[in-house]
Amino acid sequence: MESLITAAARALEAGDPLGALNRVALRNDAPSLALRGIAMAQLGDLAKAKSLLRSAARAFGPREAVARARCVVAEAEIALVSRDLSWPVRTLAAARAILERHGDLANAAHAGHIEARRLLLVGRLDEAERSLAELGAAPLPPASQVTRELVVAGIAIRRLRTKDARAALDRAVRAAKLAGIPALAAEVDSASCVLDTPAARLITRGEERPLLLEEVEDLATSEALVVDTFHHAARRRDIIVPLGTRPVLFALARILAQAWPADVSREALITGAFRARHLDESHRARLRVEIGRLRAKLRPLAEVTATKQGFALTPRKTRQVLVLARPVEEKHATVLAFLSDGEPWSSSALALALGTSARTVQRALDELARSNKVQSFGHGRARRWMTPPVPGFPTTLLLPGPLLKT
Amino acid sequence: MKRSAAEIVTEYGPFPGVEAVHGVTYDGKHVWFASGDRLNAIDPASGKVARSIDVAAHAGTAFDGRHLFQIAEDRIQKIDAASGKVLSTIPAPAGGGDSGLAWAEGSLWVGHYRERKIHQVDPETGKVLRTIETKRFVTGVTWVDGELWHGTWENEESDVRRIDPETGKVLEQLDLPTGTGVSGLESDGGERFFCGGGANGNVRAVRRPRRG
Repeated sequence: MESLITAAARALEAGDPLGALNRVALRNDAPSLALRGIAMAQLGDLAKAKSLLRSAARAFGPREAVARARCVVAEAEIALVSRDLSWPVRTLAAARAILERHGDLANAAHAGHIEARRLLLVGRLDEAERSLAELGAAPLPPASQVTRELVVAGIAIRRLRTKDARAALDRAVRAAKLAGIPALAAEVDSASCVLDTPAARLITRGEERPLLLEEVEDLATSEALVVDTFHHAARRRDIIVPLGTRPVLFALARILAQAWPADVSREALITGAFRARHLDESHRARLRVEIGRLRAKLRPLAEVTATKQGFALTPRKTRQVLVLARPVEEKHATVLAFLSDGEPWSSSALALALGTSARTVQRALDELARSNKVQSFGHGRARRWMTPPVPGFPTTLLLPGPLLKT
Repeated sequence: MKRSAAEIVTEYGPFPGVEAVHGVTYDGKHVWFASGDRLNAIDPASGKVARSIDVAAHAGTAFDGRHLFQIAEDRIQKIDAASGKVLSTIPAPAGGGDSGLAWAEGSLWVGHYRERKIHQVDPETGKVLRTIETKRFVTGVTWVDGELWHGTWENEESDVRRIDPETGKVLEQLDLPTGTGVSGLESDGGERFFCGGGANGNVRAVRRPRRG
């Protein structure tokens, strides 16, 4: 509509945020503020971007509902990328409804994808899937297709459906090529890495080897008895014995499975599962009780037999016992797992995602920081955590392209 | 004030490689439209692009009989229609907030989109001679038979309206269907207006009401 805005928007679309800024740097009308906000976001200054977009939304008049809604969507995406999970979801839903009503389906879909990405991030997979399905399969511009396929792949990876994940990533690669946005192609590449990086370790007969996600998936159909440290369960195909609420029983099962087919001494079981320093008779009594409980639990999968010096596992209907463990086992592994996405997280967002208290997360982060496993920047509420080393400042910003088009 | 629904006579486009139409003019034979980095001339009979000029083209377009005028960023370029060369430039009156452009009576008329104004500008110097205030965001501007018409666009609604050039009062209004934008406006001197379709990348011919 306006000459300079058109020129700046074209520069932004061509991946030249500085060129866009050059044209509107000194202007404070609503469309200029919005463009400056998006340019700043692409340049990595998310705080500045957020405040510019907020001013833009205010500056658009009451009859410019669509332009306003687009600003809200852009701000929501910045909130997502900066892991500000407390950002009001309802505001985004309202903006999405306005865009839908006015026929701006591409940006409405973008809003829906942000919603789905947020749900995926906090592990609400069913809701993420539902929200994607609601968007339907309407034809979308290539950049939106990329986001959609990335969310689909993300859900499939979390659900251990690697074939689906690969198919979605292949579609994402094709759409990214069509979109011609380098940042988007890089995003797809880094997502694909997940499938080619060891996702777990397999321990059997005292030996270890790394497993790709695909191989982890294959375990579900294998004959083996698997002691799974991801889900804190023992299973063989469809028979699953959850031990998540019984950490001592799980620890015993794991020690026995790792040693299989050899047996494990009482002392080793007691020190491993009870974390006891000095052994006494009460420990031996407790071990007898816990082994009894484990025996009852594991009955469908294995027998726990007494040996001369301790206990051993004898699996039923299979001749293989495996332990599935995290690639790197350490304290606070779950915190690290979230941070390993390379994005900056606030401690409160981590607490929300992990379902624990902010205090617990803070303690974990402090401990990890002391051993240089995580780093932080910013202060107070703006403080963010991430895992080093970080190449640049990766963002997945895909802000609504045709933000200012009529 | 007379108000009626706009009658769309013809739709041209979409055109390959054109994402949006920013300005429209008519040279008596071809309809010219601005599409960001070039000006395109279409034959109104066939709807085909006959010719194009590579020039920055971000908003309004006008024709004075020999030259094309084209807004780019914060200036107005004067282009030789035959050779496609930019002959000179003057500053645009809205400093980049400019939208529509028309040529009439030896002056350029420039829409100031968000300020809801139309400036009359000296085509040699860029000096603002006078300013007309209107009621809605101004897109395209055109003069025909002594009538000043302009397009509007606000919250997904567009119309083409005739205003009193002295007072800015709306005299007549043609409403376009909801969601149909008007970016760029030009009369063919007869019964048609050519309207740019904005992000939809089309050009439409809308019937001009007969004087009775």
